[in-house]
Amino acid sequence: MGVARSRSTSRLTFTATVAVLLAARLAMAGAGPARQPEPQTSSWQRSLLDRYCVTCHNDRVQAGELVLEDLDVLSVHEAPATWETVVRKLRAGAMPPPARPRPDAETYDRLVSWLETELDRVAAVSPNPGRTEAFHRLNRTEYHNAVRDLLDLEVDVAELLPADGGSYGFDNIAGVLGISPTLLERYLGAARKISRIAVGRPAPSAATETFRVANDLSQDDWVDGMPFGTRGGATFQYNFPQDGDYVVRVFLARNAGGSLAIFDAPHTLEVSLDNEIVQSYTVGERPPVDASRGSDAYRDWQARQRTVDSDWEFRLPVRAGPRDIQVTFARRTWAYQETVREPYLRPYTGTDTRRQPYLGQITVTGPYETTDVSPAASTPSRRRIFVCESSQADSTREQTACAREIVSTLARRAYRRPVTTDDLDVLLGFFEDGRAAEGFDAGIEFALRWLLASPEFVLRVERDPVGLSAGTNYEISDLELASRLSFFLWSSLPDDELIDVASRGRLSDPVELERQTRRMLRDDRARALVTNFASQWLYLRNVPAVYPDEDLFPHVGEALRLAMRRETELFVESIFRGDRNVLELLTADYTFVNERLARHYDIPHVYGSHFRRVSLDRLPNDARRGLLGHASILAVTSYPNRTSPVLRGKWVLENLLGTPPADPPPDVPSLEETTDDGEVLSMREATERHRANPVCASCHRLMDPPGFALEQFDAVGRFRTHTAANTPIDATGELPDGTQFDGVSGLRDALVASPGRFVGTLTEKLMTYALGRGLEHYDAPTVRRIQRDAADENYRFSSIILGIVKSPPFRMRRTES
Amino acid sequence: MIISKKTLARRTVLRGVGAALALPMLDAMVPALSGISGRAAEPVRRLGWVYSPNGMAMDAWMPAATESLELSTTLSPLATYREQTVVISGLAQGQAEALGDGNGEHTRATATWLNGVHPRETEGADVRAGKTADQIAADQLGRTTPLSSLELAIDQDFLVGGCDNGYSCIYMNTIAWRDATTPLPMQNNPRVIFERLFGESGSPANRQSEFQKDRSILDAITNDLARLQRDVGSSDRARVTQYLDAVRAIERRIQLSEQNDTKLPELERPVGIPESYQEHVELMFDLMALAYQVDLTRVFTFMLGRELNGRAYPEIGIPDSHHGLSHHRYDTTKLAQLAKINTYHVSLFRHFLDELANTPDGDGSLLDHSLLMYGASLSDSNKHLHFDLPLLLVGGGAGQLKGGRHLQYPRDTPMTNLLVSQLDKAGVRLDEGLGDSTGRLVELAPLADV
Repeated sequence: MGVARSRSTSRLTFTATVAVLLAARLAMAGAGPARQPEPQTSSWQRSLLDRYCVTCHNDRVQAGELVLEDLDVLSVHEAPATWETVVRKLRAGAMPPPARPRPDAETYDRLVSWLETELDRVAAVSPNPGRTEAFHRLNRTEYHNAVRDLLDLEVDVAELLPADGGSYGFDNIAGVLGISPTLLERYLGAARKISRIAVGRPAPSAATETFRVANDLSQDDWVDGMPFGTRGGATFQYNFPQDGDYVVRVFLARNAGGSLAIFDAPHTLEVSLDNEIVQSYTVGERPPVDASRGSDAYRDWQARQRTVDSDWEFRLPVRAGPRDIQVTFARRTWAYQETVREPYLRPYTGTDTRRQPYLGQITVTGPYETTDVSPAASTPSRRRIFVCESSQADSTREQTACAREIVSTLARRAYRRPVTTDDLDVLLGFFEDGRAAEGFDAGIEFALRWLLASPEFVLRVERDPVGLSAGTNYEISDLELASRLSFFLWSSLPDDELIDVASRGRLSDPVELERQTRRMLRDDRARALVTNFASQWLYLRNVPAVYPDEDLFPHVGEALRLAMRRETELFVESIFRGDRNVLELLTADYTFVNERLARHYDIPHVYGSHFRRVSLDRLPNDARRGLLGHASILAVTSYPNRTSPVLRGKWVLENLLGTPPADPPPDVPSLEETTDDGEVLSMREATERHRANPVCASCHRLMDPPGFALEQFDAVGRFRTHTAANTPIDATGELPDGTQFDGVSGLRDALVASPGRFVGTLTEKLMTYALGRGLEHYDAPTVRRIQRDAADENYRFSSIILGIVKSPPFRMRRTES
Repeated sequence: MIISKKTLARRTVLRGVGAALALPMLDAMVPALSGISGRAAEPVRRLGWVYSPNGMAMDAWMPAATESLELSTTLSPLATYREQTVVISGLAQGQAEALGDGNGEHTRATATWLNGVHPRETEGADVRAGKTADQIAADQLGRTTPLSSLELAIDQDFLVGGCDNGYSCIYMNTIAWRDATTPLPMQNNPRVIFERLFGESGSPANRQSEFQKDRSILDAITNDLARLQRDVGSSDRARVTQYLDAVRAIERRIQLSEQNDTKLPELERPVGIPESYQEHVELMFDLMALAYQVDLTRVFTFMLGRELNGRAYPEIGIPDSHHGLSHHRYDTTKLAQLAKINTYHVSLFRHFLDELANTPDGDGSLLDHSLLMYGASLSDSNKHLHFDLPLLLVGGGAGQLKGGRHLQYPRDTPMTNLLVSQLDKAGVRLDEGLGDSTGRLVELAPLADV
């Protein structure tokens, strides 16, 4: 019944469409002589448009709200936004729609290239670098990195600051980074805490920090960083704020009801501080000999175990600074577990499947009995801050002189520019208040607190030069350029060398700019391009939320989640930091795995929890190559109980092809997964039925096919040849431009056949991230230029970065119009 | 135990609460700040919901079937407050039934308790339920208080993944939902709550000094922003204006906190979570009473435990797991033990009522101006029943609650009707109903004879 209904609906639609087209044809024919005079010989461009495009894109039909009828194609400068839209569709091969005629490939390409050349020519004559916002607030990640680089201090920003909003796929877009009262309150609190810890001043009272282990993380094997011969547990990094005594409390992992399990053999738990054992405990004991189950002795034995960790608390003296607390168990056996069932690769707490005790959490409370004055130990942050020493013993003049040196060094880095007398007046004012109350260190603490809360720290400001008329392009200042560069490549403050070069006005010199860019790419801080840019571009931030259905995927736990994410990070890093051809992101024949992940991928002979590079040649086919074979991406584009060709297809369109589909209409019903007879459908069949509706089909015929190819991987990224309905997977499909592919390998080949598409998309993503604004039509010529230049360099990653850094949108800005 | 010595001394708090200082009428501050009522005589209304897990031993809970309230065994600790208590029987959470989903009784009971919306069955991050009554109240009553609401719990929310056959643990960890997709975390660490309420330090001198420091920083920020505003174009000034608005909002909050702060005694910041359950619960109630007293917030939810939790109560002679006992299979010994746990929880709640009753507030006490709900989301725990729920309201509700009654409703009357009535009494406007509500409980409407 349902099928018949949609057939008649589509017949109606078809009839209606034909009627409209006929009417349009007649209207055009009839209206000919009354229209404005056309040139005697139509240009070849015009003829193509008239023949293949205007039947739908005219005044009457206005398909897709695009009208090409009256536009003068030879004067693209009159409507560049429209022509850029046309170019985008044509480059993706999405227009004309498959059912309709299109010119041969050569002519098609000729038109697109001509349009691009024209648009580029027009842009060269009157470029538009766009206008970034005047105020760009640091987001949470940038704040964390800035504090790390300014004070050599790791802080937990997730606890201190709220999450930022995002737009265009990134969380560093100036337009959505607003300032609310709540945020300001948190900035004040963060400044208070960070300045106190950095200077090492006493807190009002002892604090407790809690460190937990995920309860679905297996602890049967050795953990990286622990001594050999141990298993399980975790390492926690804690910044001890001051010298003093600290109390550590250790808790074993409990089951879902909150109880401890009973173990009939002793296990030793060891607690270490910076690799030295400070305490050990025993859990588990043999049951009493000759005691029957109901006896008191037996019951006592059980009761003892249920509260075994109730007195696991000890006190120890610790020097201030960042330290590692390691808690682990001595390994009792190397033997594998033998059970009738295959053991789970992750523990379950509902029905407790753990055969050995696991660590649950530890708390660290302190400091107790601290000496009130400045600590004897020097922490990394104190070393960074105190470029000179002073105290109450010195004269006021000496103290002030030293304070001046300290705050001006810090302020130059924090404000990312040379410090002015006004800046210093305010900073020294705060210093004086603090010093008068509680001494030299307190003065520095208060000045630092102001520094961290000041607008010039949390905001990046770009100012129009005085005296320019509206809508003028200008080169941004060297210092503004330095900030853009460091936040792009490092998500953090510029370092001293960069500020020096910029304040001498040397950064705008192209040779120097390239040199600094390359230096910064080699620096370790450029990892931010992997952990911040790529993790957003590739949705890696969603991996911690991957919790598939436990019945369908019983082996997915924290170990696999961590491994998935690590693989993609290491892989992207190898290509970015290795300055390789970015297409290898899709085609590389290697990846990085540990034992858990290798098990997941069926890669044999990989043992141990550390990551290492492996060649994918060991696998029977090459479906696994590149990002499309990464479990991380495959899992975040699935539902907890099944794959979604739609989600995956959308991901491919958005992040690899640069042609995101439109938003879905409201009230879309859920997918029917069985026929009316109860027969289970394959995902492809289910989606096909869903797309029978032509309104849905317009987007889905573009979106679903890449998703069908990826059906070769299940909802957690394992390779498969048969669907959940046990039919062989049909992984064929075609790209919007008509290129056919079969399976993931075919999809991959199709994607890299025209490398410009992928490179262009990556460039757009990087540019959005670099500029902190969405891209507009006037940015398209820049993207094309970068693409072309990168092609000459074999698409090396650095060529794209340099292309962006040297481009007008990055170097320049337009005044307000 | 080192830690226990550092818990907030209850006696200190009580001394402060019953201080000889005549507290100025808090409602004097209301006209200047709130849009709710312009009349200075209108007392401030406070709301709260206290949740007891794993259902109840219903025979021990249920009062006699008379309209005049005869306290049952479980309710006996509330004897002093009989005149301000209304027990409500017969209400149901229809949306907590399976309705085609799998077996998730405890989860659905928790998720629907304050909103009457059937939760989405998922183990993933795409959880969905409904905005809860407390958050609706927080939107309106919380506009003028530093914190719009407070969410407290005893059990940690460390469990992730699946908890109850097909449902994410998120559903079990909270009874407060900011909106359909935003569950609010419930805080179980008294130290963190203390810091949210009072800042990092316990001593008034220290707190005052922090207020001053923040104010001088805010002044300097204002100067900086004034300068920045001159430097940029008109269309960019909007961001600076937003910043300045934020500065002013925080300055107001600090001013409010400074004024309130003068009434507070010396407070010792709790170091962490106390060892014993009783100490933990009492400390949380102490903090809540303080928060009410200085008007830091007027809305709270508190979970005395999470569903399914297997806590034992050796302090009252019960070594067995709570959840285990809740599946008593009608064994009389086990039922008696379960009833004992239920009574214990009620007595801990009574401790809170004592504090509120002993704190003057305007022309009465804090309790006179509060309207609290206490109860569970399951009735017969053995069968996981979602109807005949054990619920009560206590407090003066600012003259809105006529107490000493036991109201019995026909089966399947939605619990959300009670929530709607409760909000109504606190002056919280509800344009549409709440979840599956069908109206109000008319019997709760009449004003007490003041």
